[in-house]
Amino acid sequence: MSSWLDYTINGLIVGNVYALVAVGLALIFGVSRLINFAQGSIYLVGAYIGWVAVVQLHTPLPLTIIVVAAAAALVGLIIERFGLRPLQNSVRIAPLLATIGISFVLDQLVMLTFSPNPRALPSQLPDVRFQVGGGTIGPLDLLIAGVGITSALLLFVFLRYSKLGWAVRATAQDRDAAMQMGVDVNRVNQAVFGIAAALGGVSGMLVGMYYNQIDTAMSLQATLKGVVAEVVGGAGNVPGAVVGSLLLGLVESYGVAVFGTSYRNLFAFLLLVVVLVLRPNGLFASARQAPPEPLTGTFIAPSRPVRIPRWALAVAAGGFAVLPLFPVSFYVLQTLINAWLLGMLALSLTLVAGSIGQVSLGHAALLAIGAYTSALLSLTFSVPVGLAIIGGGLMSAALGTALISPSFRLRGHYVSIATLAIGEIVSLVILNWESVTRGPIGISGIPPLSLFGYDLISPTSIYWFSFAVLVVLALLQGRLLTSHLGRSFRAIRDDDIAARAYGLSLNRYKSLAFIFGGFAAGVSGGIAAHLYSYINHETFNTQQSILALTVVILGGLGNVVGAILGSVALVGLPELFRIAAEYRILIYGIVLLLLVRFRPQGLLGTV
Amino acid sequence: MSNINRRTLVKGSLATMMAGAAFSRSAFAQSEPILLGVSGPLTGPNAQYGTQWKQGFDLALDEIQAAGGINGRKLAYQFEDSQSDPRQSVAIAQKFVSDPRIVMELGDFSSPASMAASPIYQRGGLVQFGFTNSHPDFTKGGDFMWSTSVSQADEQPLLAAYAVKRLGLKKLAVLHLNTDWGRTSRDYFVKAAKEYGAEIAVTEGYIAEERDFRSTLVRVRDASPDGLILISYYSDGALIARQARQVGLKQTICAASSVYSPKFIELGGEAVEDVHLGTRYFPQDPRPEVKKFIAGFKAKYNGQEPDAFNAYSYDAMNMAAAVIKIGGTDRRAIRDAFAKVKDVSSVIFGSATFDVASRRVKGAMNAELVVRNGHFVVWDGKPT
Repeated sequence: MSSWLDYTINGLIVGNVYALVAVGLALIFGVSRLINFAQGSIYLVGAYIGWVAVVQLHTPLPLTIIVVAAAAALVGLIIERFGLRPLQNSVRIAPLLATIGISFVLDQLVMLTFSPNPRALPSQLPDVRFQVGGGTIGPLDLLIAGVGITSALLLFVFLRYSKLGWAVRATAQDRDAAMQMGVDVNRVNQAVFGIAAALGGVSGMLVGMYYNQIDTAMSLQATLKGVVAEVVGGAGNVPGAVVGSLLLGLVESYGVAVFGTSYRNLFAFLLLVVVLVLRPNGLFASARQAPPEPLTGTFIAPSRPVRIPRWALAVAAGGFAVLPLFPVSFYVLQTLINAWLLGMLALSLTLVAGSIGQVSLGHAALLAIGAYTSALLSLTFSVPVGLAIIGGGLMSAALGTALISPSFRLRGHYVSIATLAIGEIVSLVILNWESVTRGPIGISGIPPLSLFGYDLISPTSIYWFSFAVLVVLALLQGRLLTSHLGRSFRAIRDDDIAARAYGLSLNRYKSLAFIFGGFAAGVSGGIAAHLYSYINHETFNTQQSILALTVVILGGLGNVVGAILGSVALVGLPELFRIAAEYRILIYGIVLLLLVRFRPQGLLGTV
Repeated sequence: MSNINRRTLVKGSLATMMAGAAFSRSAFAQSEPILLGVSGPLTGPNAQYGTQWKQGFDLALDEIQAAGGINGRKLAYQFEDSQSDPRQSVAIAQKFVSDPRIVMELGDFSSPASMAASPIYQRGGLVQFGFTNSHPDFTKGGDFMWSTSVSQADEQPLLAAYAVKRLGLKKLAVLHLNTDWGRTSRDYFVKAAKEYGAEIAVTEGYIAEERDFRSTLVRVRDASPDGLILISYYSDGALIARQARQVGLKQTICAASSVYSPKFIELGGEAVEDVHLGTRYFPQDPRPEVKKFIAGFKAKYNGQEPDAFNAYSYDAMNMAAAVIKIGGTDRRAIRDAFAKVKDVSSVIFGSATFDVASRRVKGAMNAELVVRNGHFVVWDGKPT
């Protein structure tokens, strides 16, 4: 029995840690309706500034906090001014993508400055422990709790009683109306980013002290947990973010208690999905809060798509088809094979995110389902590889659609968060379902690609095979989009209320889109499994999902040719920058930012 | 846009081809260094290991060059950043296989990235020399896959013997990284520990990004073991030790050799005091190859203490040099030379010789260490 008290205390302590990130995210979401994927990177920056202050400058704790808060706030102001303000009149997805680019840049800058080795960040508080239940609590635990709760309270008071706070809330409710009433919206945004960044920086420093450890890979995990906590509490709701964080900590702790450590994150993401399904706006969304953003125009850039004449496409396809006949190095072919595989994933995502408007951040899960199905079918049941890959596609279509269907009633950003969670859940199930997936050991010895009994081993034959699959899928999708069905998809995307009023069954059409998209992604995963011959739960990770989303936005949402062009560009760019070694991801991030800045509707525009 | 793209692509591939032709002409000139390809993480979540590899490689190369290189030619490496991502490691594999200057490949870091590239190296007839690849199936990828990574079948029974026989721990809690490495290690450890008569009270697997272990440690406490076994890297190992002490667990802690790093003590502070570990080398080891490695490392890197990954990469480069000395620069001859090298001086193994059947080295050295007063020292046999 006493153990349950311990699990509860532990859950609350780690919940406090999550709250520090979640509060900053909630504040920004409240004003800008933006999920700031760079918040984890500011947290990282704060931790390293804290390290410089403590270890090199020997600042006392209060001064350390001030230094870190000021420096992080400055970073936040720079991000707002140069990264996001130029995008304020473009589509919503542009700043979201920009924050992803900014996080690449910040993480890499920290890594290049401080090296990727983890560092010790000594706690500046005395190491006394108070006995509570069967465990202990230290002063740092209390400080973290104090900072989390105090900042939430201060923010609440600030938003409710100060003039700038009113301006913030007015801007959050209706930006245009606030501007007409004379609110300086830019100043509001600046204030919010500064405050959120200061909080994020201080939290990184405190958490670093708490674990006596900081490293350059800590930002993504912090962002993920912060986003989960924030959305559970109700996006944009500051006190909600604190409660959501504590709840998340408790659920994880109890999950460990009942099922063991390896299930920990599984329960975190299940909590998120359950909350979203039961209360689509989070637990603490009040009735008076502005309604969830309508889907209309949320992610879709009004643009005139670039129409590429058919003959040009045919010439391009022909050119790629005959490319291996020329003396091209296998490295170029392999890079293009990667582009074709990513292209299939991007086709899948551009259909669901672009054509029907369901942005997915967990698309790598579909790859994983296809890859495992195809690998196991061919290994365990000796199904010919060609059929096994189709089996992988069908399984991804069926399972992917079934998993995502509870989130069909969600809107806007909530869909992307739900899919993010589903992606994580699939990965964790693969890790834990050992009797089928072989758990962390992974599956090795997967037979190579083959067709009608002939093994496709040379890069040339794999190139032709994957290119042919891509072209067939692209033609099918092009046909689909010009059909009546495709118009129905776009009708749902553009105005789901009007579409429903017209008699379209939203769930049925969304399912259809996911079935087709799931198939394409599953086939991509299946081919990858046979190409690599070894897969495990880490082969298809969150970064793949983010990459796919980047490709789709880069190419232009719903744009079939754009998806393929984007794949070639985003597989090719890091390869071109290979010469830059440690700097290449930094360059990649900057290029991404520039593209978002100057071509937010994508290279070829939305269809 | 697609036109521009195609044009740049064609231009790019033409440039690559011309560069390739130029290189293949000069590759046979004796003045050019012999080139190794390295595929490993320089960016991304595993970037720290790639950085450590470089340190070990560069130190070994300094020594090899100073000793006259390989039959008068210098040895060099080309490090391609894979982020330990299988997509990138397969592209790098094609690049290396089709580059006639590359005589052999080292890496990748993680199993998915390494084993995804294996079929390409095998078909391309280029040795893939994995020196951190303890996945049991890595060397089964083909006869071009060789590894100096210590098989966990070899190491874990030594750790079990230390914990059970020497330290007298009878009821154990095992915390392990839930990766292919952690799982394989755990299974070998548990098997050996049971053979030595210990009881396994609880095993808990955690994922690499995990930072909070308090609830896990409550489970451990409730199983009331008399010893904790950490199958961890140094960063997570230090975290677990700190939190174990914070929640009041006072049991003896025993850890796998992978925590051996000065960082383990820096990150763990007082909490890692009295942690026992088996390791394959340590600074006070009187063996000459270890003394030389540590002295050289400190001299080159401003007094920095080397750790396990530095030692692996240092050994790997020396092994590569020894193999090329026998095999020359022909890729196939290099593969055959792995079976011929005998007793190569090695920090990890003392002297390394491959077991041709498993294509791995057997007989890792094991020293039984303990942390005392913030330093790794040889365990004096006294219980803690």
